[in-house]
Amino acid sequence: MNPVPSPLTDLEAAVAREILRIAREDLAIAAEPAPDEPLAGRLDSLQLLSLVVAVEDRFRVILSDEDARATRSLEDLARLVAERASPDRLAGPADSAGQAAP
Amino acid sequence: MHTHPAVVSASRALPPHFIDQETLIAALSAYWGKQHFNVERLADIHRATRVGGRHLALPLAEYPGLDTFRKCNDAFVRVGAEVGEAAVRAALDRAGIAPADVDHLFFVTVTGISTPSLDAKLVNRLGLPARVKRTPIFGLGCMAGAAGLARASDALRAFPGEVAVLLSVELCSLTLQREDMSVANVIASGLFGDGAAAVVLEGGARARAGAPRIEATRSVFYPDTEWVMGWDVVDTGFKVLLSPKVPEVIEANVGGDVDRFLADHGLAKGDVRHWIAHTGGPKVLEAFRRAVGLPEAALERSWRSLREVGNLSSASVLFVLADLLDAGEARPGDVGLLAAMGPGFSAELLLLRW
Repeated sequence: MNPVPSPLTDLEAAVAREILRIAREDLAIAAEPAPDEPLAGRLDSLQLLSLVVAVEDRFRVILSDEDARATRSLEDLARLVAERASPDRLAGPADSAGQAAP
Repeated sequence: MHTHPAVVSASRALPPHFIDQETLIAALSAYWGKQHFNVERLADIHRATRVGGRHLALPLAEYPGLDTFRKCNDAFVRVGAEVGEAAVRAALDRAGIAPADVDHLFFVTVTGISTPSLDAKLVNRLGLPARVKRTPIFGLGCMAGAAGLARASDALRAFPGEVAVLLSVELCSLTLQREDMSVANVIASGLFGDGAAAVVLEGGARARAGAPRIEATRSVFYPDTEWVMGWDVVDTGFKVLLSPKVPEVIEANVGGDVDRFLADHGLAKGDVRHWIAHTGGPKVLEAFRRAVGLPEAALERSWRSLREVGNLSSASVLFVLADLLDAGEARPGDVGLLAAMGPGFSAELLLLRW
């Protein structure tokens, strides 16, 4: 039985919002996946690959094939990026999280 | 007397500037690195096309200077005339037909434009007769090699004593949008190559033993799929539109289309000995194979062409046809099916019999 994932931290939630913004504004992806929904179910293969490339660019992280296998949902991706990215790359979304939910 | 037009010869012509995929990846990495953090991911996308190398229209060092649509298109006209002439000369030589005996010249491309169209230059360069009927076709994309053959055969049904030449010139490298760093463009830059192919056809009244006859053709248009594939014409030229749904559309439709086409002529898939399929890319070839229900070996010529020269758009299916004719494998009575898909979205099918 899979363990129930813990709720996102403020930082992870901010990263998730930033990923959704990239998808919507930079990549013009209309589909907006729910946080716990499998990304591959909502995005086609080209959209998914484009999103991964854009997330790597924005947060200066490298996501391996192994990471991809372990990353099903937006929440998973946000957790991974928050763990992997350097603090200066996370400053933007963390700040915006503070503005959105003071 | 046969009533069906025949494919008498086919030839391939490639620009001289061969470059292997890894060298091209290294050159493009400098551009990718300006915008993308994980350049190796883009390199892997290139490698996933399973293309081993491409023959480029120009030396690699000249591409950075192609910073306007005009420069790209000028290069298309110049190099296109050279490789187009080479392809037509070779096809006519193989057919044993003199340029003065050509009645129709069909010219297909989607990678450059000119008015008069490139075929006019070739009438002069090749010494084709003043009476030659020119039919330039632009916009059918990867399907145009098959569609051009079909339209040429249509013309020869009306004029069974005449000769038609089909020429495809595609210089895809000249359409590369270097500033477009989208994944779709990275895939396209890894997949598409440059080349020209020519096919000589004779009308049914000019009987020639051993040449495959085009017994029938079938066009299939898939309504409301314009978004699947095409060009977005931008200030810097042709920007590729390539939906990941292409394999889905093929897999959902082409098997039934092939079955109906064959059945209308009293045939079934098991009767087809030679499958001459547009090379597309790995996903397109796999989708076509699954849709039609073929064993993997059935499309080996297409896979080989993809590995050796990349996807040459409309010229690809003619490269596969030329490879088959060169191999001399076909025997009298053999049935072949030539197929290509392209923007529309649509498909073109031809039934060949040796």
